[in-house]
Amino acid sequence: MATAIPSITCLGVIGRNNNPLHISILPSYDPSTNAFAPVRTPLQFSLLLSSTLDVFELRARHNAANGVGLTGDYGLLHAVDERLASYGFETNTGVKFVVIVDMRGRRIDGSVAAGMVDVARRGTAAVGLREGEMKPVFKAMQTAYIKLLQNPFFDPDEHSPPSGTGGKKITSKKFADDIRRIGENWTPGVTAL
Amino acid sequence: MDEYPAGSLDQSIPLLLTLGVSASSAPHGTELSAALKEQAVLIRSDLDPLDTEDALALLRYIQERDASQLPCNGRDTTRRYRFRVRTAERSLLLPPRRARLPEGVEAPPTPAVLHSPFSPLSPISPLYPDGFIDTQWLRKHQDIIPSVLLCFYTLVSDPGLATLCDNQIKTDVNNIRALLSQSGYKSRLAVVFLSDRGAHSIDGVQERLETIRKGCGLDPKALFFVPPNESPDELERIGENMLATLYGVAIEYYRDLGRHARKKRGRGVAPQPTIPPTSGTSQILSLVGWNVRYDFKSAIFAEYRLEMDTALRSFEQAYEGLLSSELLELIPSWSPRWNDARFLADVIAVRCLRCLVWNAQYSAAARRWQFHRDRVADFVERRGRGTSNYGWKAWEARWATVMANLIEKADLSEFSPSSSKVYLQPEKSVMGERLQPWEFLHHTGYWYRIAAKHLSGRRAFAHAMPEADRRPPSFSPASQVASKAFTYDTYMCPDPHEEYPLDREGVDHSHMIVESLMRARTEFLKRHQVRFAAELSLECAGELAVSKDWQSIVELLRPLWKDMTFRAEGWLTIAEDLSWMLRAAAARTGKAELVIAIDWELMNRSFTKRKNWHYDISRTLDGISPKSKPHVHIEDGQTLSFVSASFLFRNDEGKAGQSTNGQLAITSNAHHGSSPIALSNIQVDFTGSLSHVILRHEENIDAKTQQKRGSVVLSRASLETVVEKQNTEDKPSDLEEDLSKSVTLQGASDLTLAPGQTAVFDVQIPLREPGETSAVSLTLNYQSDTFGLDQYLSFQRTGGSNLWYLSAASTTRISRDNPVSIRVLPRPPQMEIVGLTWREQYYTDEPIALELEIINEEEVDAPAKLDVTLLGEDVPVFTIEALGQGDEASSSVAGSDESRISGVSLGSIESSKSLSVYVRVPSIKRSSRFDLTLKVVYFLSTDPGTPITQTSIFQLNVVNPFEANYDLLPRIHPDPWPSLFDPEGVRDLSEVDNTANLIPRGLSQTWCLVTRYASFASEDLRVTDVDIRALTSQTVTCTSTRKVPALEKAPDGGRIVKPKTIEDAAFDIVAQKSTLDDRSPATLDVSFVIRWTRLNPSSPSAPPNITTLPVPRFTLFGIEPRVLASVSHLRLKEAEPPGGSKSLGRRRRNRLLVVLRVVIENASNHFLTFGLTMEPSDEFAFSGPKQTTLHLLPVSRRAVTYRLLPLREAGDEGGNKSVGSWIRPGLVVRDKYFQKLLRVIPTEGMKLDKEGAVLVWVPPEEEVEEVEEEGAQEEETTEEESDDGDDDEDDKDDEDE
Repeated sequence: MATAIPSITCLGVIGRNNNPLHISILPSYDPSTNAFAPVRTPLQFSLLLSSTLDVFELRARHNAANGVGLTGDYGLLHAVDERLASYGFETNTGVKFVVIVDMRGRRIDGSVAAGMVDVARRGTAAVGLREGEMKPVFKAMQTAYIKLLQNPFFDPDEHSPPSGTGGKKITSKKFADDIRRIGENWTPGVTAL
Repeated sequence: MDEYPAGSLDQSIPLLLTLGVSASSAPHGTELSAALKEQAVLIRSDLDPLDTEDALALLRYIQERDASQLPCNGRDTTRRYRFRVRTAERSLLLPPRRARLPEGVEAPPTPAVLHSPFSPLSPISPLYPDGFIDTQWLRKHQDIIPSVLLCFYTLVSDPGLATLCDNQIKTDVNNIRALLSQSGYKSRLAVVFLSDRGAHSIDGVQERLETIRKGCGLDPKALFFVPPNESPDELERIGENMLATLYGVAIEYYRDLGRHARKKRGRGVAPQPTIPPTSGTSQILSLVGWNVRYDFKSAIFAEYRLEMDTALRSFEQAYEGLLSSELLELIPSWSPRWNDARFLADVIAVRCLRCLVWNAQYSAAARRWQFHRDRVADFVERRGRGTSNYGWKAWEARWATVMANLIEKADLSEFSPSSSKVYLQPEKSVMGERLQPWEFLHHTGYWYRIAAKHLSGRRAFAHAMPEADRRPPSFSPASQVASKAFTYDTYMCPDPHEEYPLDREGVDHSHMIVESLMRARTEFLKRHQVRFAAELSLECAGELAVSKDWQSIVELLRPLWKDMTFRAEGWLTIAEDLSWMLRAAAARTGKAELVIAIDWELMNRSFTKRKNWHYDISRTLDGISPKSKPHVHIEDGQTLSFVSASFLFRNDEGKAGQSTNGQLAITSNAHHGSSPIALSNIQVDFTGSLSHVILRHEENIDAKTQQKRGSVVLSRASLETVVEKQNTEDKPSDLEEDLSKSVTLQGASDLTLAPGQTAVFDVQIPLREPGETSAVSLTLNYQSDTFGLDQYLSFQRTGGSNLWYLSAASTTRISRDNPVSIRVLPRPPQMEIVGLTWREQYYTDEPIALELEIINEEEVDAPAKLDVTLLGEDVPVFTIEALGQGDEASSSVAGSDESRISGVSLGSIESSKSLSVYVRVPSIKRSSRFDLTLKVVYFLSTDPGTPITQTSIFQLNVVNPFEANYDLLPRIHPDPWPSLFDPEGVRDLSEVDNTANLIPRGLSQTWCLVTRYASFASEDLRVTDVDIRALTSQTVTCTSTRKVPALEKAPDGGRIVKPKTIEDAAFDIVAQKSTLDDRSPATLDVSFVIRWTRLNPSSPSAPPNITTLPVPRFTLFGIEPRVLASVSHLRLKEAEPPGGSKSLGRRRRNRLLVVLRVVIENASNHFLTFGLTMEPSDEFAFSGPKQTTLHLLPVSRRAVTYRLLPLREAGDEGGNKSVGSWIRPGLVVRDKYFQKLLRVIPTEGMKLDKEGAVLVWVPPEEEVEEVEEEGAQEEETTEEESDDGDDDEDDKDDEDE
C-alpha cells in the first residue's frame, strides 16, 4: 500500500526587512493526475511565506520576553492545513529561512514505508515529522547563503537596506540551484544535505 | 455546531429543577413532543408558590450558578458543582416511563412488554425498529428529567398556624414523592425551608424540621433551612453549600443510571421490541447495535459525572462498535439509518474530542479529529456516494467548524490572544512521536479557514453538477431522480435541486465562505497575525467579487491597500494582486480617487505587466464618471511610486548673495510601452530661507536648453523670483520683508516623462539668508481633463547614487555626505585690512612699525572699532595709532602670552575710503614669532543692529640678523713688566681705599680678539659700525682698539652685508691688573656690538639698530709661565748697513732677516729655570744661543732673540718669489725643574702646525718693503730688551755661522 511521505514544496529566504530574497517552489506528487506539480500558485506561496512573518514576530516577542530561542531555530511556525506546514529559522543577522513542507508531497510503497520509523498506524495517513527534522535543511540553506555572502559582488545592504524597507531579490543562479537541490534532496530522516 | 440538532452535541450537565418559586406558572417539561405530552406524568404540588425576597434571592443565586455556558475544560477546579438549572412554579411534566401501545395495533397474544418511548423497542419511537439512539434521548436527560427536584417551602413562624402548615408541607412532599416514584424516575427530592417575615428566632425550628423530615421520610442531606433575616452574603453561602451537597446527590443519581445501562449491556441479549416490526425489512436492532446504545448511554452518564476518562472509554467503545463491520458496513447507503449512523458517529466523535480537550490532550484531539474524518471518508468512499461531491465537502466544512466551535467553547487559556500562541504544544504522552504538523492543535482561525476552503470546494462541486440534476424532482423523469439519489451525498445538506437550482438562488455559498473567512480573520487579528489576516481579506474579497459585493471589497481592502506591509516589505506579487482586485471594486463603486491612485502605482515597472491593459494614466477614469473632478494626493511611501526623484546641490557651501547650482533628477520607472506622462508642474520644497522651486510645464521649450542622450534629458531651467502678491496694497517695506522670509522661484521646462526616462533639470538657485538650506520634498502635479494628482516624494538623506549630470551623457558622483543640503554662509564683510609695510621677516633689536590700511568697500559709511591682539611668547607692549583720530596712541595690555588693545575707535570710515593705522612694536631682544590679529568690528550706518566682523592675521617673524664666533689670540705686550722692587709700584696706604682713582700698576697683557660675524637675514643689511664693549672689573682694566677698519666701503657709510656671508673684525685688547700683587686668573667679559640698518629704512632719520652679541668668556692672566714668540722681518740693504749684522748683509745682499723673539713670562711666585734649545735646520741659518738656560725670577719675563736667515728663497718650491713661505724653527723650551716642555705660543705672523710646532712666516720680497720700517723700529726695541736679558745669561751663547 502506498504511503504519502512529506516533501519540501517551497523554500523561502526572507531578508532582514521582511522582504522576500528568494523563493523556490518545488513540485509535489499529485495522486489524481499521477504527476508532479506545485500544490499552490506562486502568489499563494508568497502569501504563505509572508504569513509566516507574523509567527516569526510573535515568536520573537515571546522569545525576547522569556530569554529563549537563541539558536534561531523556530521549528514549526504553523501548519496552514493538514497538508502544508511552515518551519522557520532566523540567522542572527535577521535573515529568515522558511521551509514549507507538503505532508503528502511524495508517495512511496508500503514496504518502504514499513521500514521507516514509526510510520503512522493507519494506512492512508501520512508520515509525521519529528522535532528538529528540519535542522539539516536550515543548515544547508545557511551554508548556501554564506557561500552567497562570500561572493564579493554580493552586497547584503543592497538586499536588505539599513533604512529598513524593501530590498532587491537574490539573483544568483548558483544560490537558486543550491536551494533547489536542498529542497529536492530532503526526505524525512535525512541528517545531512 | 449549529447544524447538528439542538442538544446533540452539548455537554451533559446534571439537571436541577426547583419547584415553588418561579416567574412563570408554566409547568416544566412542556417541550415534550405532542405524542408524549399526552401520556406524560404530571407532578404537582398544591401549596402556593413563594414570593418572599429571600426565596427570590436564593433562586436568583442558584440560577446564576448555572453551568451550561461555562467553558468546557477541566481546568476550573474551584467549582464544586455544575448544574443546569430549570425552574417551575409548582408542577412538572415527565415523559412516560412506558410507552403505550399505538392505537390500531393488534395487541399481541401475550401481555405486551412496554418500553420507554425513546427506545427502538417502542413502536411510537422514531427509532423503531432498528435505530440506535437519537437526540431525543439526550434531551430527555438534559432538559426534562431532573436529577434533583428542589422544593421551596415557607416555614411559618406564627405558632398558631405552624403545625397546620407543617402538616400541609408534609402532605405535599409525600404527594410529590409518591407521584415521582409512580412515574418510575429515580429523581432525588430535596426540600428547602425559608423562614417567613415574622420569624425572629429559630427556637424550636430544629424540632419542627426534624418532624417534617421524619414525616416525609427525607434524607437529612436533602433538607435545608434558611434562617430568617439573613444578609445576602450569608444567603449566598447557604446557597453554595446547598448546591454542593445536592451535587453529590445528583452524581449519585447519574451513577445509578450508568450502572443500570451497564447492567443491561451485560445481559448480552438483544431485547425484543414490543411488537415485531412488520414494515420495511422488518429488521430489528442487532446485539452489536444494542451494545453501541448501552455504551453510548453509560458514556453520557459518565459525562454527567464529569468522569471524562470513563466517558472517553465508553464513547470509543461505542464508536468502534458503530463503525465495525457488523454495523455500519451492513447498512445500505440508501437507508435512512445510514445517515442516522453517520450522525451518531459524528456525535460520538465530537464528544470524544470534548473529552480529550477536557483532559488537555490537545494533540490527541487533533489526531482524533483527523481520524474520524479519514474513517468516515473511507466509509463514504467504499459504501456511500464517494467524496467527490458537494455533500462530502459540506460535511468536511462542518467538521472543521465543529472543531473550531469546540475549541472556542473550551476557552483554552493557552489560546488567549495575550499568550500569542499559534498552536499548542503536544501533551507529554505523544511528545516523542512523529507528529503531523497539523496535530499540534492550532487556534480556531486556522480551523475556520479550513472550513472556508471546504466550502469553496462544495461550491465548485455544486457548480459542476449537470443541469439535469439541478431540476426539481417533479420536473425530472423518475430514472433521473433515482440516479440522483445514488450520486449525491445529501447527509445534512440539501438535495441537488436545492443546493444549486436552475431557476433560482440556491444555497448562498459565498455568504457562508465569507462568514467563515471573517471569523478566521477576527481570530488572526486578535493574535496580531496581520499578514495572515490580510491574506484572508484577499480571499474574502475574491469571494465577494463572485457575489459582486464591490462595496464590501472596497471596505475590506482599502485599509490594507493604504498601509500595505506587503508593499513596504517588497512582496510585490501580493501587493499587485490586492491592487488589481481593489481597483476592480473601486471602479465598480465609482471611487475615482482610489482608482487613480491605484493606476498610478500600477504603472511601476516592478509589477508584472498585465496584458491588454492600456497603461495610460489619462485614460484611468474611462467608464467612471465622478460627480466632481477628483484630486488625489499621494504621500511619499504610501504607494510604490514609479517616479523617483533626487535633488543635489553642486557645492556644500555657498555665500549669501551668491547663487549655487542645483540639479533635480526625475526618473520614470513606468512600464515599457506605457504612454508618457506630461506633468503640469513640479514643486521642490526646501527648509531654510528658500521655500519652493516650481517648474511649470511648457511644451515648446527652446531646444538649446535641452540635451538628450539615451534615456537622459538634461534641461537648464532659468528661475525667476516670484513675489507673492498678497500684500499689494501694503507698503513696499512689508513686501520686502516677505521677500526676505520665503522665496519662491519659478521656471518653465518640458516636463514630459517617458517610461524609463530620466529628466534632469539644472537650476541656478540664488542664496539669500545664511543658514542651512536643504531640499526636503517634491510634489509632482499631474493634471488631466478628468482629474488631478499630486505625488509627494521626499528626498532621502542617504542612499541614492548622487550623480551629477555634467551633460546628458556624462555624470560625476558627488561624494558629499548630504548633498541635498547646502550651508549658506553669512554675507562676507566688505571691509579690507591691508598691511602696507608688512615684511616677511623682522629682526631682533629692530623696532617694528606696521602700517595698515583699513578700506571700507561697503556701499555706506561704517563706524568701526579695532581690536588688536599680539600672540606669542613674551609679547611686548605695543602701541597703535590711527591716523585722523587724534594723535593719541593706545598702548596694549600685555598678558603672559598675549598683548591686546580692544575697542580702539576708528570713527566712521566713509564708503570706499580708507584709514591708516600704525602698529608699533618695540625692538625685540630674542628671536620669536608673533601673531598679530586685527579685528575690525563695524556696523553699517543703514543697519546699526548687525555687527560685522572682519579679521585678518599678520605673522611677525622676528629673527636674529647676525651670529658671530670669536678667537682670542695672545700678543706680546710691548711695555716692560713692572718690577716688584720698583718703588713706584709701591702703593701708598692712603691710596688703597681710594679705588676709584687707582692707577693700575699690575701686569698687562695684550690680546687680539678676532670676530667673524655672519648675516642671517634674508636680505642685505647695511652694517654701519662694529665695536666691542669690554666690561672692566675691579681687578682688571681693559681697553680695546679696533684694528681692522674695513667697514667704510659703502658710499653712505657702512658696509652692505649680504646674507650668509662671513665678515671679519679684529680688535686689540690690552688688559692690566690693578695691582701687581693680584696674580689670580681673570676673565675677559666683552660683547660684540653691530650697528646696522636696513637698506631701505622705513624712516631715513631713524637711528641704526644696535645688535649686541655676547662674547664667550676668555681667561686671562694664567699663572703658568708662558712662552710667546714674536717675529719681525728685516731687509738687509747695502746702503744702510745696520750695525749689528754687517757681515751677513755683505755676504747676502737683500736677504731677508727674520728676527724671532722668544719671551718667557713667569707670572708665578716661583723661581723657574728654563732650558732653550734651537735645533739647526737646513731651512734657515740662525744666530742666537743654540742651547741656553734662562732663570726667571718670580713675576718677571725675559726675552731671547734669534736672527734667522732663510736659506731657501721665499716661495722656492714653485719658484715664484711673490709667494711667501713658512719656516719651522726647532725651538724647544723646557722647564728644567719639572722637565716639562713648554708650548711656544705664536703671535702675529706666526702659526702652529699640526704637531704644535711654531711656524714663522717669510713674506715674499715685495711685501717686505713696507714692513721694513716697522721691522727696523721693532728691532731696536728688541735689541734693548735682549740686552737686558743678556746680563742674566749664565750659559755660554753659541753662535752658528
